[in-house]
Amino acid sequence: MTADAPVAPTAPPALGSPEWGGFDPARTRGRGLRDLRRSFMTAARLGWQTEANWTDPILFFIYSVAKPLSTTLIFVVMIEVIGGASTREFRGFVVVGTALWAFVIAGIAGLAWAVLDDRERYRMLKYVVVSPSDFLTVLLGRGVARIAVGGMGAAITLSVGVLALGVPLDAGRIDWPLLLPVMLGGLVTIVAVGILLAAVCIQTRQESWSYPEAAAGALFLVTGAVFPLSVLPAPVQVVGWLTPLTWWIEGVRLAVFPAGPSGIGGTGSAFAAFSGRVRPEPHEIVVALLGTGVLVTLAAIVGFRVSLHRAKDRGLLDQTTGS
Amino acid sequence: MSATSPLAIETRALRRVYRAKPNDVVALDGIDLEVVPGEFFGLLGPNGAGKTTLIKILTTLLLPTTGEARIFGFDVVHQTKQIRRIMNMVAGGEQSGYGILEVREQLWMFSQFYGLGSRDGWRRVDELIDAVGLDEQRRQKVSTLSTGQRQKMNFARGLLNDPWIFFLDEPTLGLDVSAARAVRELILSWKAAVPGRTVLLTSHYMAEVDELCERIAIVDHGRVLAIGSPAELKHRIQRESIFRLELDRLDGGTASLARLPGVVAASAAASDEGHGQGDRQSVSVNLVLEDDAALGGVVGALGGLGAQILALRKSEPTLEDVFVELVGRGFDDAPDASRDETAPKGRAADPQPRREAEPAEEELV
Amino acid sequence: MSGNAYVHRPTASPQAAAEWTQRQILMTNLRTVAGRAYPRVRGLAREKSWLFFEILLPFLTTSAFVFVYRALQAPPEYVGFVVLGGAMTAFWLNVIWMMASQLWWEKSQGNLELYFAAPMDIVAVLLGMAVGGMVMSSSRAAVVLVVATVVYGVTFAVDQWLLLLAVFFLTLTALYGLGMVLASLFLMWGREAYHLTQFLQEPVYFVSGLNFPVGRLGMLGALAIALLPLAVGLDAMRQLAFADAAYPVGTPPPEVEALILVVMTVVFLSLARWMLRTLERLARREGRLTIRWQ
Repeated sequence: MTADAPVAPTAPPALGSPEWGGFDPARTRGRGLRDLRRSFMTAARLGWQTEANWTDPILFFIYSVAKPLSTTLIFVVMIEVIGGASTREFRGFVVVGTALWAFVIAGIAGLAWAVLDDRERYRMLKYVVVSPSDFLTVLLGRGVARIAVGGMGAAITLSVGVLALGVPLDAGRIDWPLLLPVMLGGLVTIVAVGILLAAVCIQTRQESWSYPEAAAGALFLVTGAVFPLSVLPAPVQVVGWLTPLTWWIEGVRLAVFPAGPSGIGGTGSAFAAFSGRVRPEPHEIVVALLGTGVLVTLAAIVGFRVSLHRAKDRGLLDQTTGS
Repeated sequence: MSATSPLAIETRALRRVYRAKPNDVVALDGIDLEVVPGEFFGLLGPNGAGKTTLIKILTTLLLPTTGEARIFGFDVVHQTKQIRRIMNMVAGGEQSGYGILEVREQLWMFSQFYGLGSRDGWRRVDELIDAVGLDEQRRQKVSTLSTGQRQKMNFARGLLNDPWIFFLDEPTLGLDVSAARAVRELILSWKAAVPGRTVLLTSHYMAEVDELCERIAIVDHGRVLAIGSPAELKHRIQRESIFRLELDRLDGGTASLARLPGVVAASAAASDEGHGQGDRQSVSVNLVLEDDAALGGVVGALGGLGAQILALRKSEPTLEDVFVELVGRGFDDAPDASRDETAPKGRAADPQPRREAEPAEEELV
Repeated sequence: MSGNAYVHRPTASPQAAAEWTQRQILMTNLRTVAGRAYPRVRGLAREKSWLFFEILLPFLTTSAFVFVYRALQAPPEYVGFVVLGGAMTAFWLNVIWMMASQLWWEKSQGNLELYFAAPMDIVAVLLGMAVGGMVMSSSRAAVVLVVATVVYGVTFAVDQWLLLLAVFFLTLTALYGLGMVLASLFLMWGREAYHLTQFLQEPVYFVSGLNFPVGRLGMLGALAIALLPLAVGLDAMRQLAFADAAYPVGTPPPEVEALILVVMTVVFLSLARWMLRTLERLARREGRLTIRWQ
C-alpha cells in the first residue's frame, strides 16, 4: 500500500480572473487628481444646494445683509458715541475690517458646520468618510458655498459703508497687484483656520456649533480688524504678526484705502519700534502673509489628519452627541 | 362611547388624513378597534398600512382627523395628561437619548420625567437594568451601545413608570435574531409578571405577532381587514388540518387511508430526497383531515397496515397566507398588484377600494 | 425578575393611576427640571472643550471691544459698559441656542416625541435645559466680568445693590420667558428656526446696545427697550453699576426699567405657556412632533 502523493497547493485565483466574477482591480487604484477634482466639485455643488440662499430672500437677508451689517454698525455707533476728530477715519477702518470679517466667519464656520451637519443632522459623515473621496477635499468643497455667501456679505457691507457711512473709496486708486495676491492668500488662510476648527469639531460634541464664531470673535483681538494693534501691549502685537489674517486685512486696507490708517503700524506701535517705519510695505505684507499662511495651512492639514485618525480610533465618526 | 368604558383601547371610525402634495394621503380610513384590559394585541400589516399612525394617535402624539379613540376611557384628544401617566411606548430603531450619558443616567433622567423621586428613580433604574440584562453596560455611554443593547435600554425606559398600557411599535426592527429573541422574551416575561397590563404591538413580522399576540388585527391601507386570534385567522382560510407523512411503506396505497373516518383526502406526494434512511425507500403522503383529532385514527390504521412513520409534519397557513387571501397580494408585493375583483367575497372585511399607503415621513409637507 | 419588582407604586386601576394630585404634578415638573438639566451638567464635566471655546474665547472677544474704546480714548466707564455687555451675552446665547432652538434638535434626534408622550409639562423640560445651560453661561459671564474688571481696571459705583440684583434676576426671567416663546415657534418650524437663531445674534447685539448705551439709537433704542429684555436689563444695570458716570440720557431710569422687566416676564411667560399649548396642539394636528427631516 502506498500513501497518496501530497497535493501541491494551488495559487488562489488572481484578481480580475473569472473566479472573481470579472472584478477589475484597476478600480482600487483611483485616478489621482481627477478624483480629487470630482470630489471637490461634487461637494461644492452639494454645499451650494444645501447652504446657498440666493433664491431665498429671507435667508439672503439674514446671512448676507443683517448679520454682517449689524456687526459693522455696532462699531460705527461705538465710534459715534465717543466722537472726536478721528471719527471718520476710524469709521472707514472698522468698516473695512468688519466687512472682511464676513469672509472669516463664513469661511471658518463653513467647514466646521459641515462636519457637525453631516454628523448630527444628516447622519452622513461616516458614509462620506468610507467613500473613496478624500474627506478633506469634500469638506473644502462644502465650505466653498459658505465662503461665497460671506463674500456677498462683505461686498454689501463695504457698499453700505461707501454709500451711506462716508467711507472714502477711490476705485481708481485700488492697488490691484497687491489686492489680488493678498485676497488669494487670505482666503487660503481662512480655509486653513476652518480646517483647524473642523478638526476640533470632529472631536467635540453637538454644542460646538458656537465654536467657530467664538474663534472668530477672539481673533478680533489680535488681527487689527477693528482697532489698530498699537493699542495692545507689545507682546500681544507680536501674536498678531504671527496671525496671517492680520497681514491679509492690512494688505486689503492698503490696497483699497491707501491713505487710511494702518492696523499693524502707527505711531507707538511695536512695528514702528521694530522697523522704524509707521506701516509695512506691500511686499512685506505679501511675504508675511505667505509665510504665516503656509505655517497655518500646514498645521491645519496635519491637525486635521491627526483628528481624523483619532476619530476613527475612538469611533467618533458616527456618534451622535447632544445634551 | 362611554366615559367609563372598561376597554383598554377603544376606537370608533378613526380616520387620519395627511395633507400632502399632490394628493392628500388617507393613512387611517375608519378604524374600529376594541382591546380589553390585559390583552396582548397585535397590529399586523405591511409598511404603509397605518400601524404607526394609529399608535401615534393612541399615544397622543397625533390628532385624528375624525373619529374617536380612548385609552381606558380617557379621550386621546382632550385627556392627554391622564393617558401619558399610565402608558409608555417603545419604537423599533429608536436612536433617542443623549450619547454622552451612561445607560444608568439616561434612564434616571427619564424616571424624573415620570415623577419618580430621585433615589427611588436610581433604585428602579438599577432593578430594570438587571431585569433587561444590561448590568454589564450600566456605566457605559449610550453612544457606545450596540443596537440590541440600545433597544433593551429603550425597553427599560418604557417600563420605568410601570405602564398600564404598553405600546410597542415594531420593537425588533433592525435587530439580529438573538437580539430580537431577547426582546421578545423580555416582553413575555414582563407580561407574565404583570398579567393585568395591556400591550399593543405593531409589526410586519408575522412570526413575531403569531408568537406573542393573543389577538391580531390585520391592517392594510388604513383599514382593518380581519380581527381574531392567530388560530382563528388561519382557520378562516384552511379549516382542515393538513399533514405530510413519510412512511417506510404503504400497502394498498393512499386509497386505504382515504376511507378512514375524518380523512377528507389522501394523496401521494413526491418523495423528499434524503428522507429515506440509507437505501430504504420511503413513501410520502399528503393527508387532509377534518380536524387534528382524526390523526389518531390514521396513525392506528397505519400501524395495522404495518407501515412505520418516518416523519410527520403539519402544514399550516401563515398569517401572510391569510393576508393574501384577504387582499390578493403578499406583504412585499406592490399595491398595484392587488385587484379588487379577485379578492374573496364573504370575508369579515371585504377588500376596499385601493388607498394610498401611509406616506413615508419624508414625503409629508 | 419577580412581578413585584416590575410593579412600581401599585394602584387599583389605571383610572386611579391617571389621576394625579396637584402636588404630584408640581413635583414631577420640578424633577423634570432637574432631570433635563442633568445631561447638560454631566456633559460639561465629560467634555471640557467648552472651557476654551465658551469661556476663554468670549473673554477675548469682549477684550476686543474694550480695546476699540481704548483706541478711541473713550471715558473709562465705557470699558465697564462693554464688560457688562459681554457678560450678558452669555445668557442671551444660552437662551437662543440651548433653549429656543433645542426643541428642533430634540425632534431631529427622536427625543421630542418621548417628551410629549410623558406626563410632565414641556415648560419644565425647557426650564431644565435653561438651568443646565446656565452653568456654562454663568461661568462665562463670571469670567468675563471678574477677569475683565481686574485686567482692564473697571471701577463699579453701585448705590442700589438690591435694585441691581433684582434687575439682574428680572432680566434673566424675562430672557428665559422669551426663550420659551421662541421655543414654541421652533416646535412648528424646521430648519427655518435655525436661521432665526442666527438672526437673533448680531442684529440683537446691535439693537440691544450690548457695546454702547442703547439710548444712542434713538427710536430704535426705545423700541428695543420696549421689546427686548436684554436691552432694557442691560441699560438698567449699566445705570445702576456706574451710578457716578455721565450716562447718556434718553432711556428711562432703572426703576422704570425694572418695572418694564416685570411686565415682560409676566407677558412672556404667559405667552409662552399659551403658545406652547397651542402650538403643541397644532403640531399634533399637523403631525410635526415626530417628523425628523422637516
